[in-house]
Amino acid sequence: MAEIAESPSTTEHPLGTVGASRSKASSSALRESDVDPKTMRTTTPGLKRLFLTFSVLLSFLLGFPFLWKTVEIYRSPLPFGDMDALSKQIESSPLQFPCHFQSVFLNFDSRSSGGILDPRELRSSILSEMTKLTSQTLERQCGSCGENFTLSVVVDSDGNGLTPNCSYKCGALGALNLGDGEAVDEALRSALDESCSDYGGKLYTVVVVNGDGAGEGPKALVGKHRHGWISGRELDAEAMIGRMAEMFVKIFMNGGREDGAIHGEFMPVGADGRVVLSFSLLNANPDDWFYDWDFQKLDDTLLNPVIEALKPIANISVESQVLYHTPKSSFSYWDESLGSYIFSTKDLPFFVNSNEWHLDTSVAAGGRTKILQFVVYVPSANECPLSLQLPSGEISKTNGFISPMWGGVMVWNPQSCIKYSGSGPPARLLMHPDDLHRIFEVLMGQLRQLFGLKSDSIYVGAAGAYKLLPSEKGFTEWELDVLSRQHTCFNLHSSGTTLGSLSRLVQSLPRMIIKDEIGKQVKFSLEAAQLAQTNASVGLYEASAASSRQARSLAEDAFFHPSIMSVSYFSFEHCFAVYSPFFLPVSLHVLLAALREWRRYKQEKAKYVRWKVKQVKAA
Amino acid sequence: MRSKLPDAASSRKMAASSAVVAILASIWLCSSIAADASGSSSETTMHTNNWAVLVCTSRFWFNYRHMANTLSLYRTVKRLGIPDERIILMLADDMACNSRNKYPAQVFNNENHWLNLYGDNVEVDYRGYEVTVENFLRVLTGRHESAVPRSKRLLSDEGSHILLYMTGHGGDEFLKFQDSEELQSHDLADAVKQMKEKHRFKELLIMVDTCQAATLFNQLHSPGVLAIASSMKGENSYSHHLDSDVGVSVVDRFTFYTLAFFERLNMYDNASLSRLFNSYDPNLLMSNAYYRTDLYQPNLQEVPVTNFFGSVMETVHTDSAYRAFPQKNTPRETRIRTGNTAEDDSRRSILTDMTKAECPFTRIVSSLESKMETVGNLDSLVNYGLVMILPVLVVSVWLST
Repeated sequence: MAEIAESPSTTEHPLGTVGASRSKASSSALRESDVDPKTMRTTTPGLKRLFLTFSVLLSFLLGFPFLWKTVEIYRSPLPFGDMDALSKQIESSPLQFPCHFQSVFLNFDSRSSGGILDPRELRSSILSEMTKLTSQTLERQCGSCGENFTLSVVVDSDGNGLTPNCSYKCGALGALNLGDGEAVDEALRSALDESCSDYGGKLYTVVVVNGDGAGEGPKALVGKHRHGWISGRELDAEAMIGRMAEMFVKIFMNGGREDGAIHGEFMPVGADGRVVLSFSLLNANPDDWFYDWDFQKLDDTLLNPVIEALKPIANISVESQVLYHTPKSSFSYWDESLGSYIFSTKDLPFFVNSNEWHLDTSVAAGGRTKILQFVVYVPSANECPLSLQLPSGEISKTNGFISPMWGGVMVWNPQSCIKYSGSGPPARLLMHPDDLHRIFEVLMGQLRQLFGLKSDSIYVGAAGAYKLLPSEKGFTEWELDVLSRQHTCFNLHSSGTTLGSLSRLVQSLPRMIIKDEIGKQVKFSLEAAQLAQTNASVGLYEASAASSRQARSLAEDAFFHPSIMSVSYFSFEHCFAVYSPFFLPVSLHVLLAALREWRRYKQEKAKYVRWKVKQVKAA
Repeated sequence: MRSKLPDAASSRKMAASSAVVAILASIWLCSSIAADASGSSSETTMHTNNWAVLVCTSRFWFNYRHMANTLSLYRTVKRLGIPDERIILMLADDMACNSRNKYPAQVFNNENHWLNLYGDNVEVDYRGYEVTVENFLRVLTGRHESAVPRSKRLLSDEGSHILLYMTGHGGDEFLKFQDSEELQSHDLADAVKQMKEKHRFKELLIMVDTCQAATLFNQLHSPGVLAIASSMKGENSYSHHLDSDVGVSVVDRFTFYTLAFFERLNMYDNASLSRLFNSYDPNLLMSNAYYRTDLYQPNLQEVPVTNFFGSVMETVHTDSAYRAFPQKNTPRETRIRTGNTAEDDSRRSILTDMTKAECPFTRIVSSLESKMETVGNLDSLVNYGLVMILPVLVVSVWLST
């Protein structure tokens, strides 16, 4: 009770004015004795208590945002909108590349083909054939040319003809010796390559040469670069339109396969864009004989160009080893008529004896790299020679097979199957370069098969057979274009789905820490995907393949970041359970005290007001 | 104004045309749906390989049977063809060399001690205290630190079939890990969902041998998952028999009957999954084996058990070699060489080339070294040298004073 009420004083005052004051005091005392302390008070209630309690409450309230900030989880801001937009966009509209085609009719003078050939007519008929062939595929394939291709036709007869701009210059191709495929290929390359730089060099050309062939009918060849030709005696231009259209669609667009798309099991590129090719020479029983190979020379001379050619698609590294005491786990039987031990295609799944063949010992490959095993198996003396018999009954020419996403196996029989019978261990035999060369050709065929292409060099279409010239880089330029397109498509699809999954995952776990690294990886992945799409729309196949590979690897790095583990992060209930035992009782007390003081203040204020009113009424 | 009422003929025509339009629209819709689905459905991907993740979640001597369960299944799966590089084995591995083990380095799953499970070629990927819930989920989802080696990772792809076998102590919607942690059913379901989103498996078979195992699958929603449990909610899974020699139970009933089924198979067989599931007798198991097939599309009678338990390798014959490479014709003689003489020659030639380009200091040192090698007794020379130091020291001290 801080205020001291004026108590009625009955003590004598020495001064004379006491009487008046006494009378006043007595009158006020009279009034004060009427005051009931429970309902009225004469002084204003103090504010100190209220101030104290409310200041404590206010400090709690002010401190609460700071507490919230300290228990906040650091989440790097991810562009969820962009990620979902990219994923939806890639799902809905499959990526299509612009393709440019050109056909040249050579030496078709008016005598042989009934009138001068009109390029415009020819163009429309070729276009209609091509659209017929492309519409046979059910849906718009991702990575195909789609409806987005251009075609130009040139008729060159005796050096004067009608040429649209930026294309083949008439008279550039002189007399061609049609017998030698390689020479024709080189001549065509030098003639055609300079002519057009608008399309970035990606112009596919088919030349129809009406010359004097051998007379067995038109011969069609596809070169190592981006052109092919049909040659023959007394060719009819209209008849060649079907073959030309097939060459454009089936070979240049689809890569020599019936449907345009490569399935996922023929895209052996790892999630970080790297592949390791692991070559192993397996000696089944070194007590009989054992072989060694000069792999370094092979790598330098023959394998390096292939790896260089595949650079936009995958970052390839090579390793090799020689293993001993590696028998296979399937059985073979001796066939007298064929003169060798036979294993059939039914035994192929059980050929690889993983208990004894310790192939996957690479420490160079990281966690997300793909390893492709290429195994050359040298059989033991009691199974020599070992041949593969196909279901048709004939013996395989290559003695090899592949398993998609794993690699390939090839059986090589030594020249003579005579067992070493000397004392002591047999000497190490170095493989002859010719044998190594032949083995390498089979292994290259297997590498092509693993990437979805065929290992042989003939394509048989509806209109006829086409010979495909093989390239010493392992893949011809038009095949690399097909691979680039398919891989771009696959990589973009994969990065879109990965980013979409990541955004859904992050949003579903609101209390998970997202590190800055993840944010950066997502940002760069989105940029690379954007760049890949731009490159694809312009027609730069290799650049788009490289940037799409980068987009995929960054998206995978972000998704598989080791810090995204839901089991490590506590739920909101946990946080509540940790802090509430302290804060709840304290805040309860503070709040109650503040409320109580407030109520008391209001009561005292009401009492004072009542007294004031009474005074006013009495006055 | 006469209101035009459609008469019967035109109404029939309209109905017919609208039906035709509807049929065409539905055909177009179906083909577009099929087109969209074919790009992303799992039926179109080839089954390329099989993986197995075998987890034993208990430790301590009295849980001997759980380790024996896991090792028996490991042996079965290896016998049927899955190689070590595609098996992830997580064991506490404290039985074989336990001080209570009367048969050191041997683990049996039968009291006749006929088969030593720990005998040869057992490759444990996660052992001891590495078997944690976090590591298990990291294996499933693939989120490892970059230093984790390839042998500890589940490197499956979209064509893989994965067998996931877990055994230990469990309860209602949880599985106990090493007596200190729990794996909850929603954690497992979440991990499987993330695996499916990243296409880490084509089909997944989960086998769990614990008490109340079926509750662990309650939250699974991803397609392509087949789950079988040894007991339902409220039931326990019991051990099969006690080995009085070793002193503990050596195998659980569910795993025992599973192994009995597989002992009759070899890798060429094609017994179906439905035969496996129907071979469990509730009276013998003393619990009801429960399997969940609502997320799994193929018919169980047509799926061979080797789809999950055996090895699969899709093979394609190589038709021809790729003859593009220019060949240098060398005369055909087989160079037989003993040892690496050819390489040594080349190496030595490189060294001699190097000595020509050396600096004078190295030349002096190497000539000194060659001279030292000609000295017979090097030790005595060193001793003489040491003895010689003393007078030199005395002389120099006297000179400096």
